[in-house]
Amino acid sequence: MTFRWSRWSPQLALVPAVVVTLTAFIGAIFWTIYLSLTRSRRLPEYEIDWSEWGRQYERLFKDDAWAISLKNLITLGIGSALAIVFGFILAAMIDKERRGESIFRTVFLYPLAISLIVTGAAWRWIFNPEFGLEHFLHSIGLTWVNASWLATGETAMWAIILASVWQSSGFYMALMLAGLKSINSEIWSAARLDGVSLWRLYLEIIIPMMKFTFVTCAILLSLGVIKAYDVIVAMTNGGPGQSTYVPAYFTIQALSAKGNLGYASAAAVMMLAITAVIFLPLVLLTAWQQKRRGRATT
Amino acid sequence: MSEMTVAQRAGAEIAVDRAPFFPRKKKTITGRSIAVLILLTICALFFCIPLYVVVVTSFKTMDQIREGAMFALPNVWTLEAWDHAWNSACSGINCNGLKVGFWNSVAILFPSLILSIGISMITGYALALWNVRWAGAFLFILFICAFVPFQIIMFPLITMTATLKIYGSLWGVAVIHAVLAMPVLTLIFRNYYKDIPQEIMSAAVMDSGSFWNIFTEIILPMSGNILIVVLILQITSIWNDYLIGVTFGGMNGQPMTVNLANLITISTGTTRYNDNMAAALLTAIPPLVIYFFVGKLFVQGITAGAIKG
Repeated sequence: MTFRWSRWSPQLALVPAVVVTLTAFIGAIFWTIYLSLTRSRRLPEYEIDWSEWGRQYERLFKDDAWAISLKNLITLGIGSALAIVFGFILAAMIDKERRGESIFRTVFLYPLAISLIVTGAAWRWIFNPEFGLEHFLHSIGLTWVNASWLATGETAMWAIILASVWQSSGFYMALMLAGLKSINSEIWSAARLDGVSLWRLYLEIIIPMMKFTFVTCAILLSLGVIKAYDVIVAMTNGGPGQSTYVPAYFTIQALSAKGNLGYASAAAVMMLAITAVIFLPLVLLTAWQQKRRGRATT
Repeated sequence: MSEMTVAQRAGAEIAVDRAPFFPRKKKTITGRSIAVLILLTICALFFCIPLYVVVVTSFKTMDQIREGAMFALPNVWTLEAWDHAWNSACSGINCNGLKVGFWNSVAILFPSLILSIGISMITGYALALWNVRWAGAFLFILFICAFVPFQIIMFPLITMTATLKIYGSLWGVAVIHAVLAMPVLTLIFRNYYKDIPQEIMSAAVMDSGSFWNIFTEIILPMSGNILIVVLILQITSIWNDYLIGVTFGGMNGQPMTVNLANLITISTGTTRYNDNMAAALLTAIPPLVIYFFVGKLFVQGITAGAIKG
């Protein structure tokens, strides 16, 4: 394949992609890391005072809003994980029943097609304190129900979690359904012959067999949670107060509203660090899978 | 090379929604089936509630909305809110409705699609089928780039687009979409092309086909399926984006989602909830139409590009 006249064509064809990777990704990452060590405010300053290079990070960890962001990130992560559980249950029911499969799949997946801004707008309307769900429930006599979750700091995160779960359950359902379908159908008949109950079959055989699907879902979910921004903007704009700040929102606020570049960069670097922590297991897991498969074939 | 397979594996394991359809035997209905079907129906109703509420609200008058009967059907069905949302709703200081944002979104979509798909396709082809010595390492770097949070490259990208004089315009948004999509799309194309048998390539090279000849005469005609999947993935993700639009669009290049976000978050005077809901629906219609018409391919696209999150 090393013909003289075409030796350089593949390399030339790769030039745009390489340029984009080196500048827009790798260069930009180091640029931001560098900025996080400077005193940059609204405009970048390219001088590092090495005696206090970590000042942005020090400030960051003393900042209450950042602490709230991290706490909310964990809350959102745990809450959104319900989407995986819910997705698995839906997939198991659809897979076992098979009747109406395409209708249910279509219904559960449609939220995924919609922008998170639209999702946020819809749920914001449902949680509207004046004319929304709460008003409706009170008007039919359920006056003890408190459904204006967006109005108070303690409950606003729940509303965001509910919207996120609504939006993404269908996606995890689709992944789980694919996983379930790849399971050998003989397992079901073998289990029936052995008289294993359905619960035990799922808990002890099916779920362990789908380990990889679950890990994939967990990683995708974590990455989605770190990136969560649109839904916050559309539902609460970080409020009430700073009660629904998450790192992605905090970083953009620091840059656009506070106009503090060095500070925003430090927050962005922390986001990258969190991503790396999640990303690492994926690499290790795949390497392990690779090794296991390699052993199986030889 | 072993790192490369990380990307492949993730791509392959994620893009799995292609299980074959087996003809099924008619089952007799049992008690358990009925219970499962009832449960599934309840879940399905829960999933439909937001859509139902948004749709009915958009057809109501403000008078009826103030009564607070959220789930009631409109007393009088009116298209007034739709007209208002499209033509004269205020997003920030401009009161030209969502139509401006709609055409902005359309204008962002096309150049961005051409740029992102063009570059990724050729890169994927070169990496999959030609001997590029550092292909493995480069694919691994692309895989990492696909996971990078946008915030960490945001400011440098603003500076770069400002230098190129496209910051604050439709072109800025379009180019940034193309740049951010490049790693994932390249991995998708590369995974697709690597399954093309080596014999075809050898025969093509024997025929003294050059890199570009082989691309246009053999590879392009073979790419129909993956092109449709990638197109759906890109159209929905560009249309649904908010962050890039609001960051790089400035005043003149705001896509529809940004207008909608302004409409629902910034309220001057009395909020017209029916307008807001009509605006939300207008923004949601294009991707929903794609979803309902080519659902299966849509799912394939979304799962293949899942790491784009």
